[in-house]
Amino acid sequence: MRPSSARKTSTYDGGTNQRRHKPDYMLVVASALLLVIGLIVVYSISPGLAAQRNLSENYYITKQLTAILLGSVVFVIVANIPLNKLKQLKRPLIIGAGAATLVALALPVTPEYPAHRWIRFAGLSLQSVELIKCALLVWLAAFLANRVRSGNIDNQIATFKPLLIVLGVLGVVVAVLQRDLGSAGVLVAMLIAMVYVAGMPIKRLIAIGGILVASFFLLTLPFAYRRDRVTTFLNPEQDCQASGYQACQALIAVGSGGMFGKGLAHSVQAYGYLPEAANDSIFAIYSEKFGFLGSALLITLFALFFTRLKNIMERAPDLFSRLLVTGVLAWLSTQTIINIGAMIGLLPLKGITLPFISYGGTSIIFVLAAVGLVFNISRYTTYGANTELETGPEAAKRPMTRAGYGAYTTRRP
Amino acid sequence: MRNQPVAISHHFTALSRIRLWYVCLLVVAGVFVVRLFYLQVIRHDYYQTAALTKQLKEYEVPASRGIIEATSNGKTVPIVLNESKYTLFADPIYVKDPKAAADAVARIIGGDANSYEAQLKTDNTRYVVLAKKLDKDKAEALDKLELKGIGTREASYRTYPQGQLAAQLLGFVNDEGSGKYGLEEALDAQLKGAPGQLKAITDAQGVPLASNKENIVIEPQQGDRVILTVDLGMQQQLEDALKSGLERAQSKTGSALIIEVKTGAVKAVANYPTYNPAEFFKTEDASVFNNAAVSAPLEVGSIMKPLTTAAALDLGVINKETTYYDPGFFQIGDARVTNIEEAGGAATRSVADILQLSLNTGATWLLMQMGGGEINKQARERWYDYMTDHYGFGKPTGIEQGYEAGGSIPDPNEGFGLDIQYANAAFGQGMTATPLQMAAALASAINGGTYFRPRLVEKIIRHDGVEKVVEPEIVRQDVVGARVSDDLRSLLEFAFSKNYMIYGMRNSHPEYSIGTKTGTAQVPKPEGGYYDDRFNGTFLGYIGGDTPQYVIVVRVNEPKIAGYAGSRAAGPIFSSVVENLINNGNVTPKTN
Repeated sequence: MRPSSARKTSTYDGGTNQRRHKPDYMLVVASALLLVIGLIVVYSISPGLAAQRNLSENYYITKQLTAILLGSVVFVIVANIPLNKLKQLKRPLIIGAGAATLVALALPVTPEYPAHRWIRFAGLSLQSVELIKCALLVWLAAFLANRVRSGNIDNQIATFKPLLIVLGVLGVVVAVLQRDLGSAGVLVAMLIAMVYVAGMPIKRLIAIGGILVASFFLLTLPFAYRRDRVTTFLNPEQDCQASGYQACQALIAVGSGGMFGKGLAHSVQAYGYLPEAANDSIFAIYSEKFGFLGSALLITLFALFFTRLKNIMERAPDLFSRLLVTGVLAWLSTQTIINIGAMIGLLPLKGITLPFISYGGTSIIFVLAAVGLVFNISRYTTYGANTELETGPEAAKRPMTRAGYGAYTTRRP
Repeated sequence: MRNQPVAISHHFTALSRIRLWYVCLLVVAGVFVVRLFYLQVIRHDYYQTAALTKQLKEYEVPASRGIIEATSNGKTVPIVLNESKYTLFADPIYVKDPKAAADAVARIIGGDANSYEAQLKTDNTRYVVLAKKLDKDKAEALDKLELKGIGTREASYRTYPQGQLAAQLLGFVNDEGSGKYGLEEALDAQLKGAPGQLKAITDAQGVPLASNKENIVIEPQQGDRVILTVDLGMQQQLEDALKSGLERAQSKTGSALIIEVKTGAVKAVANYPTYNPAEFFKTEDASVFNNAAVSAPLEVGSIMKPLTTAAALDLGVINKETTYYDPGFFQIGDARVTNIEEAGGAATRSVADILQLSLNTGATWLLMQMGGGEINKQARERWYDYMTDHYGFGKPTGIEQGYEAGGSIPDPNEGFGLDIQYANAAFGQGMTATPLQMAAALASAINGGTYFRPRLVEKIIRHDGVEKVVEPEIVRQDVVGARVSDDLRSLLEFAFSKNYMIYGMRNSHPEYSIGTKTGTAQVPKPEGGYYDDRFNGTFLGYIGGDTPQYVIVVRVNEPKIAGYAGSRAAGPIFSSVVENLINNGNVTPKTN
């Protein structure tokens, strides 16, 4: 074992029992596989979709490739930000998210952009909620790590109250003003997961859960379209023509795929039957093309990707970075579950993209940024006891290997 | 514990929490896979049916209409073809900038941008047709503009490589794809074929997806290809001769036709005025669509006399050499049958004189002979029998033409003034027939007595390549006896030899056999009786060598030229047609 001084970057913040090593390349491999699957689906339905909208044949695939290229650049940047500088991004991110949200709320609603969710500039558009996700991620990780370090994680005034205020503000802005219940759900999932992993007492979590259930009903019942979605979800076949149309067409796409699928070039539902075939409904089109075997394979691939994230969480160098990975896992897994769940009739429809797979620049770029962050963190492992992470009997359970590789050759006492 | 936590109030259990959460995620993944298995494997049939109910649509695939061909210089050449043209249409709802779109359209196809713009601004319809029959390159140029809400659609149109030639004979195809008038109407079903069917998986707008494996195609049965008996050279010359002849005779309308004596095959049919079938929609007077030679019967006048003569010969009541005393007129009831001034009053006349001098009294005398010396029930019934059962008058011949008329023959026993009516019918008044019926009847009377159904179709080639040659169709074999046929020919050739100069012919073409009869028919008033000053000129004749080859009928309606309409107006047209046939080598001369 070489002394730590021999490697300048063996720890990122001078923490104890820390070790720098190769990052988790399997994370990149899994992401790339998912991106390629998404590209193949978008590529195969691109000409048909383009024809319906009078666009050039390669319009969709070109835009998607551009997004992946941009996303890769963002990935490389985020993957190389020094982790100890990350907390300094908190303020610019919050200001950026706030500004973007104000602009989105100020811009008028058009037929193409039917809610105050997007900021548009020079032909490009961006959902402001993606910036909110990033800001929430960094701020909350720093906030919770700080509270844990100071021993205030179950303090009502210092911890619980600010969380409720943030929850309230996000709820009003995203769920009410932007009418984006799906994204609000993702933000809530991130918050709960991070608070949960940070070690907030269970009774507080139950309290937050109660508040959320109450506000869900408060937010759902006054809006006719949301009531429709819930009743549609409960009984989709009843109204296949109007409000249940997309749900019905999604089930038809999935069900008609069969065991082996219709084949890459033989999707029918993408041609005008299933709305949002390239975006929110892309899983149903994928299922129609590749059948049960392909769908199960895709879900397995997502599960493997999330397993990587879980492993990195377990080995994270400190609580701040662990909470960042927690937030990313909550973010991506919630979107995946909400999206696929809606397509197979287990959850109501929400306008939410499937990470990696769905067509759409915003989604791809921000997902790759998140993966870049996790990739960055995967360079470090903390082993042995660490007061910030686990204490007591838990500490002994901490893995002594770095993510995805064999055991270290030596072990520090 | 090696490192005691600072100010910590509880034991962190983060790892357990992470793993619990992870297990939950795996459970959700498992539930999703189970649900997918249920939807995609167990319920697959249900969803597959539901999918096909919406995705599978049936379409009619139009059959391409059969082309029409005819003979030209011994070769078969097309006279009617199909061509793909394009219709430019728009759905105004999707046209966001009508001004720009109208300008773009006008730049490519010409026309008035303002009127296009007005069409694109209509808000009470979702479908406006901006232009029809656009060529492919223009349609492609328009498609390239990708104007929203504006599209082109392919449609098949008839084209006519020979221009207006034989327009009325052919007829046209209307915008709904139905044949109208002439051959197109008569053979509509055969030319049209049977549409095919496409059962295809389609997109939500109903456009078939080419890639799909489940598409079922029943090929359309293409329309039959029809090859006509018509000779385009003869057709062109007949039309030219008719047109210039009508101008000379100062007549506005007329018809002419050539029919083959030994088969009933029609070689040419001309009418004037005519129209352009490619632009039928520009024609204001629908009457020009009719093939008047088969659809407009008339009181034929004296060209009936050869048939009356042949009937009397066939009945054996006279023979070729019979002579009789002609008193110059016959009083029948309160009507009187007279002759033209030039015939020259009472005299002893021969049967040949009846035809050569065109004696109305002679024709009346022939009818009397059928009744044993007077016009009676037997005379009427015999002449009626010849006109209808032998010569085929009073009913359509069955030629492949739309709107063929049958003409009318008075009943021999019902009605008033039957005797004078039948006396009139003996010289072609008081009855009607079409030029085609006259041609077919004369052909049967001079070819040894066989009546062939007049026909225009030589051969039909079906969609599957099977050829059906249309054989001459014998309607009746004993129209007149063979001897009678010989006698009639010599009588008509005698009449021609006496009169050919009047018809504008410089020599009598002795190397050919030509027989003729003129007719100058009075035009009946709608309220009964006849106009004093309106006549139709008709002409019936044939040409051949050892045996007659073609019968030619000419009709000139109400010419203004001086002299008898039959010989002065119709005669020269016959002469010019005959000389064309001779010059072109269409007729085989006599062998000795």
